[in-house]
Amino acid sequence: MKYSYIKPRRKSMLTPEIKLVVTFFAMTLFMLISTYVFLLIKNSQFQQEEIDIIEAKYNIERNIKIMEIKIIYIEKQNALSQKIFTKNSVLKDSIKNLFDLVPQRITLSKAELLKNGLVLYGITPNKDVYNFMLHAPLRSIFHRTYSSFYPAKNGWLKFVSTNYMDNDIEKIMNEETNDE
Amino acid sequence: MSKITRQSIYILIISVFLFIFVLVFSFSSLIPEGKEYRKEKTQLLAQRQDLQRYQDFEAQTYDTLKKLQANNRHIIAAFDKEFLPERFVKKYKSSFNSLDVTKVQTLDLEEGFSVYDVKTSSQISSPAVFYKFLDEINKSDWIIAVNFPIEFVRDGEVLNSSFKMKVYSNSKDLNRSKLVKK
Repeated sequence: MKYSYIKPRRKSMLTPEIKLVVTFFAMTLFMLISTYVFLLIKNSQFQQEEIDIIEAKYNIERNIKIMEIKIIYIEKQNALSQKIFTKNSVLKDSIKNLFDLVPQRITLSKAELLKNGLVLYGITPNKDVYNFMLHAPLRSIFHRTYSSFYPAKNGWLKFVSTNYMDNDIEKIMNEETNDE
Repeated sequence: MSKITRQSIYILIISVFLFIFVLVFSFSSLIPEGKEYRKEKTQLLAQRQDLQRYQDFEAQTYDTLKKLQANNRHIIAAFDKEFLPERFVKKYKSSFNSLDVTKVQTLDLEEGFSVYDVKTSSQISSPAVFYKFLDEINKSDWIIAVNFPIEFVRDGEVLNSSFKMKVYSNSKDLNRSKLVKK
């Protein structure tokens, strides 16, 4: 005896409602996991970038140090050369002043510029000319001045004037250089 | 009371499973990773700013160096140049009646630079030539300091002068010269 005119359908576990729920849940899981993967990848990228930045900073720091050493060296070269140039100029002025100091009536035959003094050899008509025109200015410059005289063939006097400073001329020149 | 269908039980089981999974996954992995992400991002931002500061300072130091090198080109080259007596004589011979330069083989270190002592003897017509020489030496290819003792001796119409010079160069010359000596 038949109760129905249609054939019975086979019942499945996956009803449309369950399919919908599973799809929704699958999407949720997918989104969760993809967020997690995104975070993992980003963190890894950040760490790599951080390592790169640290390395770049180290290289830059090293470059800066090298450049700073070069800068210090050039400044040192510049300071030393300026000191030398000024010293040469001061020396030139000193020698010029020395020769200007010698009056026309006195003739020099030899001049020795030492580290701490000056030795002059020359000829003078008489002691007075020497004492007034050369000895006096030399005494005002140097701390210790010694003179000795020898008669020359023409009746004039040969002299040797030895003058010393308590400080080195070089030191005084250095001070002048530093002042400039 | 309504009857609970099998379908509802399935949905309930799946929901509970998903709920537990989401909770466990979130607290064990997702949230810590998110916190890490935020921390890393902040750190990276700070590092980027730091790097920018470093790069700016590097550029600034580079500019300073280049400016210094450009302004002191002559001095840098002079310190680098090896002193050759023949070249010196060739360059300054015209100013003197005669010029003789002897490189004394004593090397010293002064303020980090190697220093050669050079003995010079020359014949000049007047002290003015020596003044001119002292002016010119400051523009020479080497860093030279004229040093004591300086001697001028009259010989008829000319002056014989002898003096010492100190030639300064970069200290690497010291090693080179020591090797040559050995």
